[in-house]
Amino acid sequence: MSPVSGPHLTPEDLDAWLAGALAPAAQEHLAGCPTCLERADTEAEIVSLVAALPLMSPAAGFADRIMTRIAVARPLQVRTIDLIRQRVFASRRSLAFAASLLVLVAGSMAGSIVWTLGHQETLTALGAWLTAQAGQAAWLGVRGVASNVIEQPWFAGFKELAASPGRLGIATALALVAYLSGVLALRRLLALPTPRVAHASA
Amino acid sequence: MARAGREAAYRELIRRYERPIFALLFRMVRDRELAEDLAQETFIKALNAIESYRPEFKFSSWIFKIANNAAIDHLRRRELDTLSLDGSPHAATPEAMQATALQIGARQESPLDAVEAKELGGAIEAAIGRLRPEYRSCILLRHVEGRAYEEIAEILDLPLGTVKTYIHRARNELRQTLAHLREE
Repeated sequence: MSPVSGPHLTPEDLDAWLAGALAPAAQEHLAGCPTCLERADTEAEIVSLVAALPLMSPAAGFADRIMTRIAVARPLQVRTIDLIRQRVFASRRSLAFAASLLVLVAGSMAGSIVWTLGHQETLTALGAWLTAQAGQAAWLGVRGVASNVIEQPWFAGFKELAASPGRLGIATALALVAYLSGVLALRRLLALPTPRVAHASA
Repeated sequence: MARAGREAAYRELIRRYERPIFALLFRMVRDRELAEDLAQETFIKALNAIESYRPEFKFSSWIFKIANNAAIDHLRRRELDTLSLDGSPHAATPEAMQATALQIGARQESPLDAVEAKELGGAIEAAIGRLRPEYRSCILLRHVEGRAYEEIAEILDLPLGTVKTYIHRARNELRQTLAHLREE
């Protein structure tokens, strides 16, 4: 065995040795020092014994027991369905009521489908009548609005303006200029102020 | 993942951490039922407060910290000094003692191995059980869970140097306690 070189290993050195990262100088010392070698072997043995302790698991159903006790955020639809399910299955009476309602709704839908299939001509006639009524109502609405506009005091002036294409063009141009001016003014008002930079004025 | 608040994600987190958390707590409090209660408490606390979890830290550090605090709080309330390999010191009946006894020798292969493993495992469990709770947390996190010193310092809210010192002292105590086994 080579003569002992350098100081004995520190706890940090032993950690490094356990991690397989001992400095070469310390490694050289370890090779020649029976005291440090024995200590290092003991440390390694202790660590391996602790690391080899048996694996452990909680009793079965551990996750389920936790899940029953924590508040999991659920989407509104899921909560609504759960609420309905709870209400429906709350008692025999509620279950019977829900079943009756289901039979009623399903029966109505089925009856509706059967009736529709057996009375297609009646439905076509009904559709045509409804379309005609809707068209008539729309036409009456348009006529009502037109009558109202014609009766307005400004309508005569507008009619004269529309009769002369030159005047109409000028009026349209003026309105366009007024609109654009308004837009530009609004943009200036809404623009963020530019911060003043000290050296910019120099 | 868990921030989405989905049950499946919660279950996955439990599945991933239930064994290490339970093992740590079991070896800290030395009582199977109690360890399970504390493990449940740990997960419930963690999952109910998942919104306060900061992703820049490791989730494992966070949950181990909660578990360790639960164990230390319990040990402060009830000082358990000795490890009972025969079961919980609070077990009132032989059935309860059997139910809470340490389950050692899970990796055994033959009846002889089983006896040896049980004796050796029992001695190590006993030696760990005699350590101060702070040393116990450190040694379990370091050598059973394989956590880095920095992570242990974060979990236990201790300076890095203190963690290293605790681990060295714990190993020294274990070496002295287990000396008779090495001599045999």
